[in-house]
Amino acid sequence: MNVGAIDIPMVRLLVAKDWKLFEKQLAAYVLAGMVALAFLGNAKPWSFYVGSLLLLIVLVAAACFSISTSLLVERKEQTLGFVMSLPVSPLDFYVAKLAGNLITFGVPFVVLSAGTVAVILLTPLPDGLLVFAVLVFGHVLLAYSVSLGVAMAVESEGWNTFVMIASMVLVNPFLMGIGQIPAITDHLQTDTIVLSAPALAILAAQALLSTGIVVLTGWVHCRKKSFY
Amino acid sequence: MNFAFSVQGLTKRYPHFHLGDLDLRLPEGQIMGLVGVNGAGKTTLLRILTGLALPDRGQVEVLGLPMPGQQVAVKRDLGFASEDMRLYRSRTLRWHMDLIARIYPGWDEAYASELLRRFDLRADQAVGGFSHGQRVKALLLLNLSRRPRLLLLDEPTTGLDPVARAEVLEALAEVLRDEQRSVLFSSHNTHDIEQLADTITFLHQGRIVASEEKERFLDLWRRIVCQGDAAFEQVDWPEVAAARRSGSLVELKVRRFDDGIRERLAAGGLAVQSVHPMSLEDIFVTTVRTGGAA
Amino acid sequence: MHSKPTSAQLLLSPNDGPPMYQQVVDQITMKVASGDWPPGAALPSIRELASTSQVSVITVKRAYQELERAGVIVTRQGLGSFVAESTDASRSLLQQEFERSLQAMLQAARRLDLSIPEIQQMLERERSTGD
Repeated sequence: MNVGAIDIPMVRLLVAKDWKLFEKQLAAYVLAGMVALAFLGNAKPWSFYVGSLLLLIVLVAAACFSISTSLLVERKEQTLGFVMSLPVSPLDFYVAKLAGNLITFGVPFVVLSAGTVAVILLTPLPDGLLVFAVLVFGHVLLAYSVSLGVAMAVESEGWNTFVMIASMVLVNPFLMGIGQIPAITDHLQTDTIVLSAPALAILAAQALLSTGIVVLTGWVHCRKKSFY
Repeated sequence: MNFAFSVQGLTKRYPHFHLGDLDLRLPEGQIMGLVGVNGAGKTTLLRILTGLALPDRGQVEVLGLPMPGQQVAVKRDLGFASEDMRLYRSRTLRWHMDLIARIYPGWDEAYASELLRRFDLRADQAVGGFSHGQRVKALLLLNLSRRPRLLLLDEPTTGLDPVARAEVLEALAEVLRDEQRSVLFSSHNTHDIEQLADTITFLHQGRIVASEEKERFLDLWRRIVCQGDAAFEQVDWPEVAAARRSGSLVELKVRRFDDGIRERLAAGGLAVQSVHPMSLEDIFVTTVRTGGAA
Repeated sequence: MHSKPTSAQLLLSPNDGPPMYQQVVDQITMKVASGDWPPGAALPSIRELASTSQVSVITVKRAYQELERAGVIVTRQGLGSFVAESTDASRSLLQQEFERSLQAMLQAARRLDLSIPEIQQMLERERSTGD
């Protein structure tokens, strides 16, 4: 991959095009996320439950929406041929899609994760929850990277739907799993934030895997034999 | 001589289809019509020329540059419209025009407006509401208005009503004016290609069965109606592509006609009644049926 | 809507009549014979004529070659093509075309076993009704 060959203005144009295509929907997701945070901040058991559930739904929906609109729909509605007939290389296309997704998913993701952190720290919710929340966000990010990679590399709609749903649903066993680790759960109900070794290890694994998948996807994409 | 494109030893294998070996080139300034039935490999060839698909083997050069290595530079001067290419449904034609205008410095807004009027398209309408004909014309408008040096059109007239078809051919005829601009367009219908093409290439089952200047096709092929009782074996010459009989009438389709044939037929017991030029369609069908070698 | 025919446009039909290049030859010959394009006048360039008449470049090129061989037009290297100074050639080309049609008619007549006097009678009848 010759990184120097990336046509930056062209990439910017493609990203702007994708952003224009779904800015309205993204605003709606951020709005729904805010409502979820409001529930969460209420610090009553029922509203905490509703809030965290809604927050997860919004995050997963934003992830799936961003991937399917920018990649799967492009392929299905046959606009991919149109984009690839423009003066872009497969690498330009990949970088544009990656950057576009980082923005379209990244914006709600960052807004909502920052919001969650703020809600945990500023409301009567125990601050120890923070580590747990960060790990959940880490999982969503990893699941997103996997879905994105598969959407770029695999054309089958069935596989894409499967991977998207499966990776996101896996948040459930993941929650149960970290619930079994005393180093993480011990401080859950307290106001002390303890970044234990297992928590750090999981977080590092999530970050490494996400990055690795993104790089691998780019490598696979530039070796594809058809782009339509 | 400069070539708009040239492919050498090109092959591409799919599970149920094999394209190649293809050797084909188009001199700059010419219009080539690619004729073939559905599934002949027209779309695959066009996709390879645009870099949308990569060949398994062979050299591909477009506008003098190697593909897919130089595809970005090539695509700056390339127009491509295919039957299965769609625009963004929720966006207006104007949005697409603005997008293209930002990408191609050669975008000619005045010409775009003229085409908009001639094609009877509404720029402020969402593309999703366009009919098939309007969609084809919109894609063509986006391509023609940036004045590409090579225009690749996959079945541009398929499924168009006669009025839209005439409009499309009219717009394409304007490209003829410029000797540096070339067009390769495919169709399963020879009529659409016949009018404007300088060269015709017949593609069948992934192979080129004939590629000639159009006028040569029309010059060389003749349908001869004769009378006589001679058996077909008597005229089993390489230039006779097809023969059929009805009573004493015999019809021959000949791929390299010359006046000597009359005498040879007469010597063989067949009196020539009339000699007719053949349409490209007839030439194409005959060529395909006889398995190539026009 | 009627497009205004410019003098650099031929009115051709791909759907009927003789082959396209023959139509081009015929129409240019007619234009020259009728004085639309006077002797010495510059012909439109091959590409120009092809574009306005919506016919391929190679067809026009071939028609120009034919017209040059027949002496209807002359091509000067680097300057383009011009109508020949004498219109004899375009007349003789029209003459040739007439003779071709006549031969075809006579051939059909032979198949019908029509005699020359019978054909003459038909021509007489045609003249009395045609005027």
